[in-house]
Amino acid sequence: MLDRSPQETKDRSAEATRPVAFRGAGFTPGGSRYSGWIALALVIAVWQLAGSAGWVNPLFLPAPSAIAVAIYKLATSGALWQHLSWSIMRIGTGWIIGTTAGVIVGFAIGLSTMARGVGITFISALFPIPKIALLPLLILWLGIGEEPKIATIALGVFFSTAISVYSGVDAVPRNLIRMAQSFNVPFHAIVRRVIWPGALPSILAGFRITSSVALLLVVSAEMIGAQYGIGAFVLQAGNLMQTDQLLAGVVILSLFGLLVGKLINLLEVRLLHWR
Amino acid sequence: MKVWARLALAGVLVWAASGIARADDLLKAKIGVLRLSSSAPVFIAQDKGYFRDAGVDVELKFFDAAQPIAVATASGDVDFGVTAVTAGLYNLAGKGTLKVIGGMSREKAGYPLIGYFASNNAYASGLKTPKDLAGKRVAVTQVGSSFHYSLGLLADKYGFKLSDVKIVPLQSLSNAVAALKGETVDAALLPVSTARTLMDANGAKLLGWVGDETPWQLGAIFASPKTLTNPQLVKRLLTALTRADHEYHDVILTAIKDGVAPINDKTKPLLEIIAKYTNLPVEQVVGNCAYIDPDGKLDVKNLDNQIKWLQGQGFVDKGFDADAIIAKDYVKAD
Repeated sequence: MLDRSPQETKDRSAEATRPVAFRGAGFTPGGSRYSGWIALALVIAVWQLAGSAGWVNPLFLPAPSAIAVAIYKLATSGALWQHLSWSIMRIGTGWIIGTTAGVIVGFAIGLSTMARGVGITFISALFPIPKIALLPLLILWLGIGEEPKIATIALGVFFSTAISVYSGVDAVPRNLIRMAQSFNVPFHAIVRRVIWPGALPSILAGFRITSSVALLLVVSAEMIGAQYGIGAFVLQAGNLMQTDQLLAGVVILSLFGLLVGKLINLLEVRLLHWR
Repeated sequence: MKVWARLALAGVLVWAASGIARADDLLKAKIGVLRLSSSAPVFIAQDKGYFRDAGVDVELKFFDAAQPIAVATASGDVDFGVTAVTAGLYNLAGKGTLKVIGGMSREKAGYPLIGYFASNNAYASGLKTPKDLAGKRVAVTQVGSSFHYSLGLLADKYGFKLSDVKIVPLQSLSNAVAALKGETVDAALLPVSTARTLMDANGAKLLGWVGDETPWQLGAIFASPKTLTNPQLVKRLLTALTRADHEYHDVILTAIKDGVAPINDKTKPLLEIIAKYTNLPVEQVVGNCAYIDPDGKLDVKNLDNQIKWLQGQGFVDKGFDADAIIAKDYVKAD
């Protein structure tokens, strides 16, 4: 061993003279500004081509141009804004109620033993219940006004938020909390100055999920006697087999999803600038 | 001994050969239906072998709503569909992917099918007849459904505006029942099969039957253009169905009194067939026997009226009428 080692060091020093490119960059997918849009445009172009060339029956898959015409008609007749404003009201109210309750319950579970035992049991038991199966019950309890619609969205948002908040609280480095406690920082200040910012990244990631959940649920919420709303519009188009209008509604929903995603990006930039 | 064995073998061979020959003659067809007694002739024809007698080997495909049957027929998953005509069906037919080839159930006086029901509170506060529905909140399953159209006909009959009625689409019958029980709507239109249990539990009050107020052609048989390229198949199928229509009409419908069919030696076998296919006890089947024309006729004039009404409401694309969506070679109009 001993007599071989000088030779090894010699080899190594010989190798060290060979220049090596930096390899340890990690996988960091950079955000290319255009690739996403180009891919999207390509897909739409192929789709339109398939539609106008008559490869697919327009009933089974309406061409993008037919969908655009449907959206245009909807917008010029003024119905679009009516549908949108009702849906935004329901999504907004439901999301805010669900998120507020979820954040409070999530923090309670993250901070108190008692709440943790009770809360996690209930969340595990209630989260997997499909809300749509409860619609007849919700109608019996809350009627067919705005309450059951908002409740459907709020319920869906609540569970995801609560889970992401308490796992965020759990993930705050314990030594930071212990240090604050050693310096005798009062409880409310620890929550506000240490735990809140520490849990914020996963809370915001939770928002990203719950805002999509709210958009998903608006369709089932508007099954309950809604005359206006994007969800009601999509359902009606489906019932009447007006497939171009159906997809127009779907496109509007997904544009809405994109917009909300951008908003959350902005929020992340502002609140998480310390990262 | 040897002679017997040979004879037996020959017998088996002859039997097998005739079996093969029969199977060759049979045309295959899939029919999409709901498990409702309004499709009774289909069940009778299948159970009593009328399809087979006419030379069609039928496989029934069961669905849980009218709309998917129309879609499945248009896409070729089933060859024929038998169900209520809805706005969705007309939209498919208007694009040429479906043709109506015959009539099925009808709303007709004396044969309960769809009813108007009031919640207990609304009934107590003066909603006693179908006429009083003007200005009330009425639950239906979907806009453009048979229930919605029935309500439109009622509005025309009593001269009130449909826009005065607050239509509440709740997407499913169970939701409509829940809303009616929970007093969140004043009334609902429900099929008799759903409503019986509700009425027996005193959850709602019957205001009247659509058939008594505004008779109309509710159900139809339809096929995709691809199926229609095989006239032999369509003819055979319709022959078998008309035979079953006749039997159903003569045995059960003519015996109905006060909307209920009697259970006796004559009606029992047919009622049991319907009970078997609808998964209902015979005692419930007797109360919801839809009227079906004995010759399978279709009320084309009413069909045209339905299309016009739905087009006027914006539920069906404009630019076609009943003539465009019926297969004239097969439809017997009345």
